[in-house]
Amino acid sequence: MSAATPSTTSASEPTTRPTSASTSTVAPARGLAVRSLRNIRRLPSAFLPALLMPIVQAVAFSGTFFAITQIPGFPTDRSINWYMPLAVLMGSSFAGVGIGFTTVRDLESGFYDRIRMAPVPRRALLLGPLLSAWARSALVVTIVCALGLALGARLTDGPLGLLTLYVAGLGMATIGTGWGLGLAFRFRDMRAAAIMQLTLFLALFLTTAQAPLDIMEGWLFEVASRNPLTAVLQLGRMGFLGDVTWAHTWPGLLAIAVLGTLAMLFARTGLARLDR
Amino acid sequence: MTASVLATPEAAERRQSFVAQTAAMSQRAVLALWRQPAIVIPSLVFPLFFAALGASAFARAIELPGFPPVRSFLDFALAGTIVQGILFGSLTGATALATDIENGFFDRLLASPTSRLSILLGRLAGGMVYGAFQTAFFIAVLVPFGLVVEAGIVGIAVMLIGGVLTALAVGALMSAMAIRTGSSEAVQGSFPLLFILLFFSSAFFPRETMTGVYARFADLNPMSYLIEGFRDLTVDGLTASAVARTLLISAGLAVVTMAIALRSLRRKLRAR
Repeated sequence: MSAATPSTTSASEPTTRPTSASTSTVAPARGLAVRSLRNIRRLPSAFLPALLMPIVQAVAFSGTFFAITQIPGFPTDRSINWYMPLAVLMGSSFAGVGIGFTTVRDLESGFYDRIRMAPVPRRALLLGPLLSAWARSALVVTIVCALGLALGARLTDGPLGLLTLYVAGLGMATIGTGWGLGLAFRFRDMRAAAIMQLTLFLALFLTTAQAPLDIMEGWLFEVASRNPLTAVLQLGRMGFLGDVTWAHTWPGLLAIAVLGTLAMLFARTGLARLDR
Repeated sequence: MTASVLATPEAAERRQSFVAQTAAMSQRAVLALWRQPAIVIPSLVFPLFFAALGASAFARAIELPGFPPVRSFLDFALAGTIVQGILFGSLTGATALATDIENGFFDRLLASPTSRLSILLGRLAGGMVYGAFQTAFFIAVLVPFGLVVEAGIVGIAVMLIGGVLTALAVGALMSAMAIRTGSSEAVQGSFPLLFILLFFSSAFFPRETMTGVYARFADLNPMSYLIEGFRDLTVDGLTASAVARTLLISAGLAVVTMAIALRSLRRKLRAR
């Protein structure tokens, strides 16, 4: 059976590849990204929590742990300066995980099989959702920051602090997308969504999420000081705690590069498994 | 021959009775949880994780002005851990209900001579069993790490009943959402909102240390009083106030959310 007869080619068999790989990747990726963004309007109940959660989380953490800034050694006297960047990164990672949700829905409805049948490179099936996650993340970062600043958060080193927060947000969205897609391709069931969310929650909270290293006690100090997401959090937070320095920037960038690559590889191998 | 003809409808009637149907649906719900540990483990591990996290991150917070006198942050955290676990466990049950709606199983149940109420109650009963298990599990796991429940065995029994009622209350609310949306994605997506509901309460920090509007929200959130009932049993011992708060608040919430769930079910049935 020739590969040139697509009507009889199964999803697991190689499909005809267009000659220009970059062109054939960008167009379908853009199409998938646009479709994913349209889903925000069509199924807002699936995206709104990713937007509302960081907003309420910033408020809730700042309010709940308001008194913790009174502990000697806490790096700021504004609890929202500490917790708002955390909420932003949590929202960004959920923006990525939300892509996993919609992919599971497509898998369950059979629509994803049709996407896989299309003669497009596999990387387009990852790039499209990633672009969508970045757009969602930018939306989350912008709205949560605006609200945080209105509620009393203050930049301590000018707009550069916002830039590092955006970069950290995009990084978390990349990690969340890779993780969400990888799990979606493996579980193919919406109940895996709980695992997507909870694992990212756990990973982010095993950092300096709630308290700085200086005031931690016991096991958490050991874990948080080794968790690469602590560096991402530091990257996002430093513009609200003091000066933006290269010493606090590069560990976060490195962590994003490594974790983002690993997460997208996890998604790619999951897609390959789905094809098998 | 005559006897068998008479016996058959009786037996069929007995099998189809409301209690039997509810029991069968409950059994199905519990077995679904038992057979898919990957789905339920997060609702056991995650709250324990937060208890451990708080015990380490906020160990020094118990010295803050306004913090109620407690032996350790772990004692303080138990109540939040239990209610948090039940919230997440109920989400799993509601997601399963939404999945039933999505894949058509719910419609097949409706097409069968099954009591409509038993479809809902079966799911909720499964969640209630799981709620009791979670409460016992959290206490059992945290005791070796230094947790002390001042109210003793009787207090733990009260907590178990409170856990069952809380599971019913939360499960009914989430089931209403599952019935209304028919989307497991939408139900799963509500997870962060449940989390936020917890944070707008005294689950993780005492209301005495909160200020302003936020403190007022926590004061208005019934979750605060439910949690403080559990907490008083842990920290202060077996008092009438603690028992009443643990049982009555969870029971009251269950009545309200059951009414919402039943209304959603009736609305869905009318729309068919």
